[in-house]
Parts: sequence; C-alpha cells; structure tokens
Amino acid sequence: MKRAIRIGAGEALVLTANRLLDGHIVWRDSHGLWQRSIVHAAIFSPETYEAELETAIKSAQSDGVVGVYEVVVRPGIPAEPVSVRERIRAFGPTVHPQFATELDA
Amino acid sequence: MNAPVGHYQYQTADREFLASRIAEFEGQVQRRLSGELTEDEFKPLRLMNGLYLQLHAYMLRIAIPYGVLDSRQMRKLAHIARHYDRNYGHFTTRQNIQFNWIKLEETPEILRQLADVDMHAIQTSGNCIRNVTCDQFAGAAADELMDPRVHAEILRQWSTLHPEFTFLPRKFKIAISGSPHDRVAARFHDIGILARPGEHGPLFRIFVGGGLGRTPLVGHELFDSVPEADLLMTLEAVLRVYNAYGRRDNIYKARIKILVQALGIEGYRKAVEHELSLMNPAHYRLAPETVAAIRARFAAPDLTASPDAEARLRNDRQGNIAFDRWVRSNTHPHFAPGRIAVTVSIKPAGGIPGDATSDQLDRLADLADQFSFGELRVTHLQNVVLAHVAQDKLLELWEVLNEIGLADANHELIGDIVACPGLDYCALANARSIPIAQKLSARFGIMRCRKRSANCASISRDASMPVAIIMSGISACLVLTNVVRSFSRSLWVVAMMHCHVPVTYSGRPCRKMIWLMPSPVSSIAI
Repeated sequence: MKRAIRIGAGEALVLTANRLLDGHIVWRDSHGLWQRSIVHAAIFSPETYEAELETAIKSAQSDGVVGVYEVVVRPGIPAEPVSVRERIRAFGPTVHPQFATELDA
Repeated sequence: MNAPVGHYQYQTADREFLASRIAEFEGQVQRRLSGELTEDEFKPLRLMNGLYLQLHAYMLRIAIPYGVLDSRQMRKLAHIARHYDRNYGHFTTRQNIQFNWIKLEETPEILRQLADVDMHAIQTSGNCIRNVTCDQFAGAAADELMDPRVHAEILRQWSTLHPEFTFLPRKFKIAISGSPHDRVAARFHDIGILARPGEHGPLFRIFVGGGLGRTPLVGHELFDSVPEADLLMTLEAVLRVYNAYGRRDNIYKARIKILVQALGIEGYRKAVEHELSLMNPAHYRLAPETVAAIRARFAAPDLTASPDAEARLRNDRQGNIAFDRWVRSNTHPHFAPGRIAVTVSIKPAGGIPGDATSDQLDRLADLADQFSFGELRVTHLQNVVLAHVAQDKLLELWEVLNEIGLADANHELIGDIVACPGLDYCALANARSIPIAQKLSARFGIMRCRKRSANCASISRDASMPVAIIMSGISACLVLTNVVRSFSRSLWVVAMMHCHVPVTYSGRPCRKMIWLMPSPVSSIAI
C-alpha cells in the first residue's frame, strides 16, 4: 500500500534508499545515480516524482539499493527534509555527532 | 579450555549447529546480493539471524543468554565493535548487545567470529521467543532462594528453534528469577517466572500477560507452584493458547497481554488447563537427570575470600566519600562471606545509556578476569555486573573503573535511565529518546530524590524508593487514555504505572514507574 504523503507550499521531493551491501543511506541524483549525500539529490516536483520513483524501484536490485521511497524537502543547498526522521537520515544521528554524514561525500 | 564460570559450556553438537546455521545464512546473503531473493523474501531470513535494516545501516543484535558472558566473549564483542562497527556497542534491555553500523556483506564473517566463542544472533528478533532474561545476581545474591540460570538455560534450549513457536503472533519475552525480590521485572514480561525450592524439588510461580510498550500492564499470576517436572509442559501450553488465539490482524494488539486482557486471567487459565489436559505429561517431563546434566555444564567458582576482606572494605570506605557512595549504590550483598556483587554503571551522567566503547569492553573483560573469575553479566537495566568480587579488592576495582569512566554511583537512582535507541537509529521510532535521557541524567546526576525537592517532588516522594525511568521512542503509546503531558514541554509522561498490588522492579518495591516518551516534535533542536 502506498504511503500518503503531505506536501506543503514550496516543498518538493527527493528520492532515497539504503545501499544493499552496507545499509548506508543514499539519495538519487539527476542522472539516476545513488549518492551518499543529500547535497547531490535531484529535486522533483509533486507532479514529476512518481515516474522517477517507479523507475528507481524497478532498477533497485541492479543499482544495489533497497527500500526506495520519496522524502518531502524544502528545496535548498542542501535540501532540508521536512520530518525529523528524514533530517536524521540525511545528516546523521543527533547523539553521535562524530557520525554526522559528510555532505560533500 | 577450562569450563566458563556462570554460563553453559557448549558441546560439539552446539558448535556444529552454529556452523551449519552460518553456512545457511551466508548462502541466503549471497542469493540476496545476486537478486535471487527479493528484499521481501530475505527480510524474515535476516531477522531470524538478528539482522535489522535500521535508519543508517544494518543493526546486528547478538544474544547473550540470560545476560551471562565470559571475558573472551566480551573481548570478541570489543573486536567486532572495533573492526566491523564504529568502535562501540549498545547493551539492551534483553541483556543482549547490538551494533548499529554493520555491513550485510560482512555479517556471515561476524557470525563466524561469534561462533568461535560460542555466541550467535539467533532469535534476537522476529516473532519468536527472545532471549530469556535472568536475575543479574543469579548464583551470587545473598537473598537468592535458588540459582535460576540452570532453568534459564533449559528454557533457552527448549525455545531455540522450537518449530511450533517460530511464527508467533508477536515477539515473546520470558524472564526468570530465583529471588523473593524480583529483579527481572517478572510481572512486566509475557511470561515471568519466580523459582523457589520446594519440599520435593524446585517450584515455579508463573505470571503471564505483563509488559510495557504501548499498553503497559502488570502480569497476572497464572499458577503459584508448578513443579520442575511440569515446567516445560506448562510453558508449552501457555504458548500454544497464545499461538492459537493471539491476534494476528493488528500488530499493536498481538502481544499475549492483549489476549490475557481479553479472556481475563481466569479464562486464560482455563484455556491453558484445557490444553494441558490434552498433552502427554511423560513426553514433556523435565527429568531430574536432564537438569543435573545441564547443571554440570556450569563451572562453579571458588568463592573463598580472605578472612579479613570485610574488615578491609569497611576500612577502605572510611574517609573516602566517593568510594563509599559508590559502594552503597552499586554493590549488592553476596551469599559468600567476603564477596560482593558489583554493578558497573553504563550510564555516565549525560552519556548514552548502555553504550560502551570497544576499549571499555576490553577493559571490562580484563576486570572480569582480575576480579570475578572471568565472568560478566549484562543487566536488563543496561548495566554490567561483576558478580563475585572479593571485598578487599573492591577499592582497586573502583579505581580502575574511575580511570575508564565507568564509576558513576547511580545504580537504580534517577540517572540510571533505561532508554531505547529511539529515532536516532531505530526505523520504528518516531521520537528521540536518547537526547532526553542524556539531559535528564546530566541534570539529575546521582542525586537521590528527596521528599521536599521541588525538582523531584512529582517523581518520587520517598527517598528510599527508586524511580524507574523507562524511555521509549515509539509513540504508538500516545493513544493511552492516561496520557499526562507534563514534566517538560519536550516530554510526554505516557504511563504512570500506579501499582495496586505489591510489585517489585529491579528488586525493590515500586509503586510508581514513570515511562517517558519524548515528543515527536521535540523542542530540542537538531
């Protein structure tokens, strides 16, 4: 069952997943490649993300990723996820600052 | 190798089984990586081997049966933390340890390394019988009536890969204690067992249907005096009733406590008795020789201590206020003269409850070798116990613990907070529990709550009564009707368990248990 998402005014979407081999979080860039940092994530409008999401899910196995889904963000550099959960995924656990995600990765 | 003190010594058959299980899992991993298995197909297989996919990486939860491990096993955990994770491990409330940054491709090798020291990760997740927890002072406490570890081991062997109970409606947790002071939170478990010696052998008082989670309930007494021979048959019947009638349509109503609540304890007992009437007692009988054979695989330490050990401890405490305070809060009377059980707090003020670095794990192993026959126990309150320390060596132990930052004198005080990893790591959580625990422990430290303390008046009105703070990061509990939004704007007190029956938590009378959940929209900025 598809999850309901709420997109506010001025908000957009990015696609995320976990890498199959090590579970690391990845973000889909504008070339359809999966990158370690949300800085490289392609920004999609509510009207265009679904087609890209479908493509990404179909190629997940060959791309070596698992659990592809969309995340609502406020566009910017980097894009900032709206939910606390996704901000933690994007930037790292708040309780171990030494494990913060390197945004230029 | 000498038999390990405190836990069951593996036989060849145990090791062969683990080797075959790892080979099986390695094949499953390879099939997943090749695409032969989809994620939906692979997920239940990896969960059966303790491997979750969490927010940032895979998490591997390693079983520590009844919380007891030896120094070589602790060193292996340190090695895994250092080489396969990010240099630390997290002790859990089921007396296990988990690593939060594991790679799928390295998991079979990690499991092989664990098997080298007789460890595994089987049944640390999934809807099966999880690690059986046990009194952390088993075989040491002065107040103990009987050592529960032998029966905990019997329950481990009975429940491991039990074909009937591999796909229960939901996870299932059993705890066993042999003390009149329940130190395992027996009445907050799916099944809680209090063992005691009887005229004709051990007797077991069995509680059912307790638990915390989104619906915190105190368990009901199902049977008062189950004889040893009938223990497994009785538990089997309890599980069968749950397996048959427990709800599978709603994950939030699938635990046994919901079924017990629905049927009432009388109804549940009647169903269990009916099931028992259909079973052949001879088939399930736990024979004394079986118990004796398992008991023989536990090595007993020589607990003889120096005759002046107690006097030397008394002398060491005088004039050393910090040491004396630590002895008062972090030790427990031992049955052997001159010995004492020590709780090493893994809750430094402002730290992350239950987290220990690989260096600390190594040092704990060294301390176990030096002071406690190479044996350690993980407690359900996420601390570590050295159970058999000579009293004249206690000051020396405390000094080393100070050096490695593990000498906080806060056991069972407000700083001794139980906290799940919460939203920072857990894929199921939607609130951050650890930052709140850190702020609470930093704020209150080792302070004992006093009657007139403005800060603590709402928490405890009796300085002698410990406050159990249990921090959850899963907000399903918000549907509770007794939600009280208080304490601070960033915390919701989701359950104030006012117990109307005598209940002990961690060995002390407890009429108030505070269960906190940080608000999902926490005011603490990221």
